[in-house]
Amino acid sequence: MSALTMPNDEPLSRARIRDFYDGYYDILDDVRLEDWPNLFTEDCLYRVIPRENFEQGHTLSTIQAESRGMLQDRVTGLLRTQMYAPRYCRRFPGPLRVTADGDGVRTRHNLLMVQTLIDQQPTILLCGVCHDRLVEEDGRLLLKERVVVFDSEMIANSLIYPA
Amino acid sequence: MPYWVYSDDSVYRRELERVWYGPHWLYCGLEAEIPKVGDFKTTILGEKPVIVVRSAEDEISVVENRCAHRGVKFCQTRSGHTKDLLCPYHQWAYNLRGELMGVPFRRGVRRQGGMPADFDPSKHGLRRLRVELVNGVVWATFSEETPPFREYLGEKFWAHYTRVYDGRKLEILGYNRQHIPGNWKLMMENIKDPYHAGLLHVFFVTFGLFRADQKSAVDMDDTGRHGILISRKGAQEMNDVTADMRNFQGDLKLADPRILDVVNEFPGDETVGMITVFPSVILQQQVNSLTTRQIVPKGPNGFDFHWTHWCYADDAPEMKRRRQRQANLFGPAGFVSADDGEVIEMCQQGFTPSPDEEALVTMGGHEIAPTDHMVTETAIRGMYRYWREVMGL
Repeated sequence: MSALTMPNDEPLSRARIRDFYDGYYDILDDVRLEDWPNLFTEDCLYRVIPRENFEQGHTLSTIQAESRGMLQDRVTGLLRTQMYAPRYCRRFPGPLRVTADGDGVRTRHNLLMVQTLIDQQPTILLCGVCHDRLVEEDGRLLLKERVVVFDSEMIANSLIYPA
Repeated sequence: MPYWVYSDDSVYRRELERVWYGPHWLYCGLEAEIPKVGDFKTTILGEKPVIVVRSAEDEISVVENRCAHRGVKFCQTRSGHTKDLLCPYHQWAYNLRGELMGVPFRRGVRRQGGMPADFDPSKHGLRRLRVELVNGVVWATFSEETPPFREYLGEKFWAHYTRVYDGRKLEILGYNRQHIPGNWKLMMENIKDPYHAGLLHVFFVTFGLFRADQKSAVDMDDTGRHGILISRKGAQEMNDVTADMRNFQGDLKLADPRILDVVNEFPGDETVGMITVFPSVILQQQVNSLTTRQIVPKGPNGFDFHWTHWCYADDAPEMKRRRQRQANLFGPAGFVSADDGEVIEMCQQGFTPSPDEEALVTMGGHEIAPTDHMVTETAIRGMYRYWREVMGL
C-alpha cells in the first residue's frame, strides 16, 4: 500500500508515525539518552553506516547495535566511560516517506545533524538518509530497524551522540 | 618536547620532504581492495594524491594522480575499474602502469599545431612510485633510497608484522574516515603511549581489555621509529592498581555483552598488538578487531584518518560478525577510539598558542629501550630520536 493511499484511520497512521519521530528527535536533541533505547524493540537492529560501505555491500558500521541492550550500552558508554568535549547537537529531519508492508511500516527521511562545540561555529556533523522499520508492540510504535546511511566522507573528529 | 614541533608550518613542510617523501614506506591499502586487473583505488600519500591500480595479474602500480600535461588531479573517484587512466581535460591517456599512450592531436590538425617533433611520450608518463606488496598490504615510497620493506621494518618488526599479516588472504569489512584536528604525530604517539590507554580509556580499563596491571610490553625497532604495544586481556576486577584510576567503574555491567565475546586466535597469549609503522599507518590487532589506520597529514594542525576494517577471507561467518561487532570499540564513534580523537584535538588546542613551552615525556625515565610494562613513554622518545635525525633538528 502506498503512502498516499494509506487511510488515516489505520492503526499506524501517518499522524502517529510523525508523532513518534517528533518524540524521537526531541529525546535526542534534549539529550535524554536513557530514554532513547526504549524507542526500539528488544531485538532491534541499529546502524549508522558510511554511504561507501552501504553501497559496496559492506555492513561494517560506525555505530552498530543488534539489540536494545546494545543501545543501552552505548548510552552507558556515553554517560560513564567515554571522554569528550561538551557539545550541542541538533537534528533536522526531512519530510517522511512512509510505506506499509506485511511487517509494519517502512519510513525514509533525510537527516542533518548539526554540532556546536564551545567557542566554535556550528558544523554539519552528519548528512544522510534514514531507512527505518516501525512496528507496533503493546499499543506503542517502536523502531525494529534503523539504518542511517551518511554521505559525510570525513567525520568532523568524533561522532559522540547517536542519530 | 617543544610544542612548535606540532604547530610550526616550516617544520611541517620539512616533514613532508624528509619524512613523507623521504626514505620511508607508506601505506597505500590492501591488495583485497583491487583484486582484478584494472581495479583501482585512490589515496593520498603525504599530501600527494596517488592511484593504486592492479596493472597486471601479479603487479600493482602506484602512480601519482596528476596528469603529466597540466597537472590535473584527474581521477576523482575513490575506487573503480578501468582499462586506462584518462585525464578529462585534454584526454591524455595512460596505461595502467602510468605510461603515456595517447595525446590527442599530437601531430596537429590539418598540418597545423600539434606537439613539437622532439616530443617523446616515453618521457611524459605519470610518476611511478616504488611498490612492495607484502602479505596483502600495498606499500609505496617516493624515495630511491628506501631499503626493501623487510629491512625497513627490521627482523623484530617483521615478526610482529607477520604474526597477523601471515600471508592468508584478507577481505575488506568496511571503512571509517574522520578528520582529527591535531598534528599527525600525535596519532603515532597515541599508539606508542600505553600509559594513557589504562587511564583515558575507561571502557578498556573497566572490562579488562587493556589495563596497567596486565602483562604487557612495549617494543621498538633499532631506529626507534616503529613501535608496538603488546598486552593480554584480563578481567573486570577491583585491585590496588584499579584503585589508582579515578574513573574505574567496578560496578559497570553491559546489558548485551556480546561485544566482549573475544576469542584467542593468534599464537601466544597476547590479545593486543598495536603496531605503528612510521610514519603513515597503525596496524591494529585489538582482540578480534583488525584494522589499518592510515594517516594523511593536512597541514601541521590536522590529519585525515582512514580506517580499513578487515577480516581473513576464510573466516567463518561468526568470526566476521564478531570482528564487525568489536568495531564498535574503534573509529570515530568507538567506545575507545573516540576518546583519542577528542584528546588529540585538546592537545593541539594546548600546544598552538604556546609554541615555546614544552611537554614532558619522561614517564619510565629517559631511556629509549623496549620495556615489559605499560608505565612508560619510551616509544615516544624513540620516535622523536629518529625524527630529529631525519629532520636535522
